[in-house]
Amino acid sequence: MDVRAQLVMVFNLDKCIGCHTCSISCKNIWTDRKGAEYMWWNNVETKPGVGYPKKWENQDIFKGGWLRDGGKLKLRAMGKGPTLFNMFFQPNMPKLDDYYEPFDFDYSNLYKAPPGSDQPVAEAFSQVSGERIEKITGGPNWDDDLSGSQVYAVEDSNLEDRTLVADYGRMFMHYLPRICNHCLNPACVASCPSRAIYKRGEDGVVLVDQEVCKGWRFCTSACPYKKVYFNWQSGKAEKCIFCFPRTETGQCNACAHSCVGRIRHVGVLLYDADRVEEALLKPDDQLVAAHRDVILDPHDPEVREAARKNGVTDQWLEAAEKSPVYALVKEFAVALPLHPEFRTMPMAYYIPSLSPVISSGGDLYELSDHGTFPLLEKMRAPISFLASILSGGNQEIIAEILRKQIALRLFKRAGNLGQPIEESILKNAGLDEAGANRLYRLFTIAPYRERNVIPTQQREEQDSYQRKGASGYGILKKTRGPK
Amino acid sequence: MLNSFIFIVLPYTALALIIFVTPYRFFSNRLTWSAYSTQFLERKTLFWGINPWHYGIIPVLAAHVLGVVAPGPMKALLGNQNNLIVIESFGFALGLFAVFGCLVLLLRRVNTPILKRVTFASDWVVLYLLLAQALTGVYVASFMRWGSQWYLYTAVPYLWSLLTFNPQIEYMVDFPLVFKLHAAGAFLIVALLPFTKLVHLLYVPFDFLKDPPILYRWRSR
Ligand code: SF4
Ligand code: SF4
Repeated sequence: MDVRAQLVMVFNLDKCIGCHTCSISCKNIWTDRKGAEYMWWNNVETKPGVGYPKKWENQDIFKGGWLRDGGKLKLRAMGKGPTLFNMFFQPNMPKLDDYYEPFDFDYSNLYKAPPGSDQPVAEAFSQVSGERIEKITGGPNWDDDLSGSQVYAVEDSNLEDRTLVADYGRMFMHYLPRICNHCLNPACVASCPSRAIYKRGEDGVVLVDQEVCKGWRFCTSACPYKKVYFNWQSGKAEKCIFCFPRTETGQCNACAHSCVGRIRHVGVLLYDADRVEEALLKPDDQLVAAHRDVILDPHDPEVREAARKNGVTDQWLEAAEKSPVYALVKEFAVALPLHPEFRTMPMAYYIPSLSPVISSGGDLYELSDHGTFPLLEKMRAPISFLASILSGGNQEIIAEILRKQIALRLFKRAGNLGQPIEESILKNAGLDEAGANRLYRLFTIAPYRERNVIPTQQREEQDSYQRKGASGYGILKKTRGPK
Repeated sequence: MLNSFIFIVLPYTALALIIFVTPYRFFSNRLTWSAYSTQFLERKTLFWGINPWHYGIIPVLAAHVLGVVAPGPMKALLGNQNNLIVIESFGFALGLFAVFGCLVLLLRRVNTPILKRVTFASDWVVLYLLLAQALTGVYVASFMRWGSQWYLYTAVPYLWSLLTFNPQIEYMVDFPLVFKLHAAGAFLIVALLPFTKLVHLLYVPFDFLKDPPILYRWRSR
């Protein structure tokens, strides 16, 4: 057992209002600079939709992630040998147009324009070439709220029935905020010939060492989530850094901190690094179970002992016990990995969206039979769609979670109205009253420090004496030692 | 005068620059150490330029280097006239391939507006220099037959004399001008290497080939 700690984010899709506040706060802090204009380390997509970059989920195009090859995993794109032969021209790399050409507006024209009979306008110009753009044809959320659904949403590869997007009676949508998943088996790391990308042992954050990266660009396509970006100015790759300067000091990531819907939870998971590969060799529909299997119980004394041996501090163990992420992912099993079948073992988890509560058109009279909430089978978002995104096609897992969510609502509604609660409703969904109340609290009124439990990186523990006397001198770099 | 400039001043300047400037750049600002790929912005034309260029120039360059590090086996190999013909024809074809690629790359920079912001003076210098170098090489290969043989018996001992700090430029002085230009171009490229994106040449994928796929860094270990 090789127990390691990982910082993990959980997204409650049921609550995301698609406001993009998270994207903006991330952009303001990290990517508001030259070469990075087009990058959105955090982005929010409308599902169904093609996403950002367009069609990122289609691995026939970009060849990201891992494949099972006999009893082993291998990168979908290419092995080490072919990598060296494709360094000059990387055949799978997404291009600027797959994202969008970043633009800004020339506001100076508003006051500099000569007098005339027309209102002056702020013209758009490209932030890459500086040339004027006549017509803007793309953006990071161009198909927001199903706009242009005939062009974009129909292309969503998770949709079984594509006619759905044209049918107002059956149409549905939900949002999908995405950051780098800081995977346990990151394809970006494995693809880098310079070995510039690494996973931090202590908290699992995946980073690109800007000093080592030479811009070979394999990571940009190897990441099946397209969460490594090429900076066209610096000629190097960049990605979400999980706000490590913030989390190291116990603060929440900028995206989670600013989240208007309060949909996000950040916390620690303990996992068994020895079992990751074996878990990823399971068939697609068993991958969620395999994920849950690799995650360890922080209350188990054996796990704690093994974790301590690996250098996980008491503070981190305590955080792991209190982790809202552990509760959601493993205890209640309501949060699912995004596209587990890409086999990077992503460490961002999503609670599938129950909304819209309205079921397929025309059966409102039936609704009252079931007490305001529709039957699971009548939910508007097809279960197959959610399963294709969140469970490797396993519909039973999605149904289980939706059942829990529905039961929770019925339970709380009954409570609010002072009506008797049918116990079987909770029981059939695999919940009990205490559990339901805890889940309710996490989903709704839990305050900041309960939604996010982030232990600090105790650098001071390493050499507190030196830190006290030499802080400001960069104690990480050693001077000549004392005699 | 010209001879001693090309064959003594230039090579030693180049050597000094690559030895001293390269580590300086490495330790002072590795953030500029990149191949500066522009594939992200333009890829259609790039494909037809970058591949012919690299696949043409790398074997040719390797053959030049091999001649210096292993002159004995190379002499034996090229001593056989059939081998010589085959190898020279290959070299010539690869050279043409490289010239074609380099031309495409140059024209691409000229004709693609979106590349304007990522094209610096050093990019032009490198492109023109490499094109000139490939052209003089192809010229030598086509009009001075058996050049690869002479190379082993003249340029190679001369290069060794340089490395042992006993430059014997007699080996080189009687060659025609193009040949001298080709030599001068080579030294110039070496001299400019540490200042330009050509530093991407100084990369050996050793760790990549031997490491397990997932790389961890521990602060405490
Ligand atoms: S999401 Fe992509 S970039 Fe992030 S760790 Fe996984 S493979 Fe790497
Ligand atoms: S800030 Fe929160 S609610 Fe708003 S789009 Fe982002 S994740 Fe969704």
